[in-house]
Amino acid sequence: MRPPPQVPPAPPLDNSLARSRRGVELGLVLLAGFITAGAYVLASLGQRSSMPARIVPFMLFVLSLLGAAHVAVRFVARGADPLILPTAALLHGMGFVMIARLSDRWAGLQATWSFVGVAAFIATLVVLERPGDLRRYQFTSLALGVMLLLLPMVPGVGFTSGGARIWVSVGPINFQPGEFAKILLAVFFAAYLAERRELIVQGHTKILGVTLPELRHLAPILVAWAVSVVVMVGEKDLGSSLMFFTLFVVMLWVATERTSFLVMGIGLFVGGAVIAYNMFSHVQTRVEIWLNPWDQYTERGYQPIQALFALANGGMTGTGLGIGDPGAIPAAHNDFIFAALGEELGLLGGVAILSAFVLLVGAGMRTALRAQRDFEKLLATGLTTIVAIQTFIIIGGVLRVVPLTGVTLPFMSYGGSSLVANYVVLALLIRISDTTARSLHEVPDDASIAERFSLWRLRRAAAA
Amino acid sequence: MNQRIRHLTVALIVLFGVLFVQLTNWQVVQRDSLVSNPRNNRITLREFDTPRGDIITADGSIIAQTLPVDAANGSSKYKYQRSYPKGELFANVTGYYTLGYGSTQLERTQSAVLKGTTPQQQLEATGGLFSKDDLSGSVHVTLRADLQAAAKKALGNREGSVVVLDPNTGAVVAMYSNPSYDPNLIASHNGNVVNETLNALQSDTAKPLLANAYQERYMPGSTFKIVTTTVGLETGKIDMMSVFKNERAWVPPNTKKPIRNYGKKVCGGDLAEVFRRSCNIPFAQTAVAIGPDLMVNGANRFGFDERIPFDLPGAAASTFGGTAADFADSLALLAIHGFGQGQVQVTPLHMAMIAGSVANGGVMMKPHVIGSTRTRNGTVMSTTAPEAWKTPMSPATAATMTQLMIGVAQSGTAACCLQLNGGISVAAKTGTAQLNAEGEKQRSHAWITAFAPAEAPRFVVSVFIKGVNDAVSASTGGRLAGPVARDVLNAALALPAAP
Repeated sequence: MRPPPQVPPAPPLDNSLARSRRGVELGLVLLAGFITAGAYVLASLGQRSSMPARIVPFMLFVLSLLGAAHVAVRFVARGADPLILPTAALLHGMGFVMIARLSDRWAGLQATWSFVGVAAFIATLVVLERPGDLRRYQFTSLALGVMLLLLPMVPGVGFTSGGARIWVSVGPINFQPGEFAKILLAVFFAAYLAERRELIVQGHTKILGVTLPELRHLAPILVAWAVSVVVMVGEKDLGSSLMFFTLFVVMLWVATERTSFLVMGIGLFVGGAVIAYNMFSHVQTRVEIWLNPWDQYTERGYQPIQALFALANGGMTGTGLGIGDPGAIPAAHNDFIFAALGEELGLLGGVAILSAFVLLVGAGMRTALRAQRDFEKLLATGLTTIVAIQTFIIIGGVLRVVPLTGVTLPFMSYGGSSLVANYVVLALLIRISDTTARSLHEVPDDASIAERFSLWRLRRAAAA
Repeated sequence: MNQRIRHLTVALIVLFGVLFVQLTNWQVVQRDSLVSNPRNNRITLREFDTPRGDIITADGSIIAQTLPVDAANGSSKYKYQRSYPKGELFANVTGYYTLGYGSTQLERTQSAVLKGTTPQQQLEATGGLFSKDDLSGSVHVTLRADLQAAAKKALGNREGSVVVLDPNTGAVVAMYSNPSYDPNLIASHNGNVVNETLNALQSDTAKPLLANAYQERYMPGSTFKIVTTTVGLETGKIDMMSVFKNERAWVPPNTKKPIRNYGKKVCGGDLAEVFRRSCNIPFAQTAVAIGPDLMVNGANRFGFDERIPFDLPGAAASTFGGTAADFADSLALLAIHGFGQGQVQVTPLHMAMIAGSVANGGVMMKPHVIGSTRTRNGTVMSTTAPEAWKTPMSPATAATMTQLMIGVAQSGTAACCLQLNGGISVAAKTGTAQLNAEGEKQRSHAWITAFAPAEAPRFVVSVFIKGVNDAVSASTGGRLAGPVARDVLNAALALPAAP
């Protein structure tokens, strides 16, 4: 008889690691809160030489939002990586300070959206206690994602703003459905690829000596990709189009571990870029502005050049919060918020913000690496890639590394859809991180609220 | 999959590395070239977006101020709107302040004080480490809003100017030029409004942007006889005993063309009489008697052909219209210049200074509009001390000239129109500068300069009305400009005397 397999003893299931992680998180979250409040005070001093009139309500608002988010994590995701929430909170806070420094009206709206964003964060954490549940909704996600992407093209609902038809108006609320579509598509890609990655790799045909997966396995992904790309080109939203494309290629590559997919993806991208450049005048315009904004200074080159002037005005140490002239950049609160921050915080502040994004991306990728199940691994990879690529596209656009395409800077730019969507991404990453900690027995795998509810009903039924 | 995720992470960090490098490139490596780029208007824009102090009159009216733009209404991308509450009343004193169209007058010359960038104001900055303190200072002018309004009202819609000075200090108490302009339109943040306004003002033949009170000069006519008479008295060529023949015409040396009196009248008598009646021939003869050298020298002692030391930019210089050598060649020209015709040109401001030197016992004070400059919290940074510029005559000559000018007001060319309230004594000289050549249609400027009370002068006024239409040209300086001077002097003298 074969001896029974040696099962390593499960580590003691106590809460000490969870407690220490949450302790770290609380400390860092409070630090982010105080940095935000300090920046808010400095911006007010810089602008008006006086303490902000509503510093106490502001502090209470910031601390209660951060506190609520932290408490939610402590209760329903206590094993999660303690760096994710504080990093996002810091970026969110600094973005808010800049928006508030630029305009009181935007600040009020952004405060409302901050509240909604944190509420969405908590709701996601509470509702979704087992991330694997999402796998069941892979085709629902695909359908919903595609529908959201198509929504702005529906007459009467969608409208164009800033050259891109990516807005939807329902009653008094305007939002960009693309921000939510990216999450749904990431969920779909992760679920579909986790399920079929073996099939995609094994079932292949050889065409002209190149190994290609069977079309039947790739079809849904190609459809999803094609719809998103076509829609994005149709909506003239190049940044989002590039983001979806990257998401698709990266997830396929990570899931299949086939470099040929990456090469193919890059080939498709180059081909697509050449075709788009030749077919669409707005693509050509973007590239021309990128290559030589000075020729169009009075028109379309004005904004990127003002951004460079702002960065130069900031220099190494920045003008100081509230003392620069970021208002000179059109849309400083939105696509160009990084230039506004670069002006007032300088290279040092800009590097700090970039580092915070690197930390956030690193924490996301660490979550993906540690995740125990393929779906969670892929979802964490996809979501983190979205945040990273979106950040790169917009900051790279502002810094003239790549042509400027209008996407929001995650957590920092003004805008409700972006903020709420990114908080949902954050909640998903934290949820995956927590689930991994439970799987690895780092923290006790307590029953979820839903499970406890089912148990309670069963007990009541039994008692009856 | 983990290896791929690690590769992906490295790739993403490389992408962020590119951002780090490029950020350093813009903020450090290329910084200087971006900051000095001619298209970079951030420095001027920053200056424009800081608080700017008030310009305040001696009677406490704010004539230039900066109002915060309500950021919420979104009407302007700038924080402050420069505003001129008195509209066109003080435009030629304050000037205007704009982002793209430059600044003029006090807004230009006193910009450092108004912005708060003088060393003294900078030293007052406290806690400026984290903030931009409001260091804006204020400029207090010697002009009075009430007298300025009285001057404008008295002048009505006629082109010309009114200048009121304190002859003892040179302080300008009122100085209004018509036409003027509304600086609010030029300070507008709406580029179209500014362009239209400036284009209209620049193409206007009446030149509203130039203050005719001090930036333009005109033929003075008989008011110039103050200068000729003074020089004659100072050089001893004439005195109160001098008697001039009753003549209708007089042919100066080396020419055949006769000189005539105003209205081709017969005119003559002793000095007091010819001055009172403003005969031309006696002053032509006096100028010739003085001779080119002494006459030019005498005019120079009044400040002719020399920049007037005024604290507003662009003040025009008056001119006697030729050098001693020119007049030596043509004594007839000297004769004509002797009664203020020909190439003689005087700014209305200078005319007030000329009469002011008579009022001030022979000393001509430097004219000024800036009384004091102050920091934001009211500390006086500088005050303008009265300063003598020229001494064109002795106190004795000044006393004589005062008597001659009282005669003009009592029973001469100004007698019609210069009775002051309460019977306050006044000294004056009128002028009707003939612009047309003989035989042409009558065209003339109307002038008067006067000071009161004659025995202890507090104010000297010069009124100039430009000969742009028949109504002006058909009348005389006394009849046209006299009532303006009277109204302004009445308003000024009604003010309590300074302690």
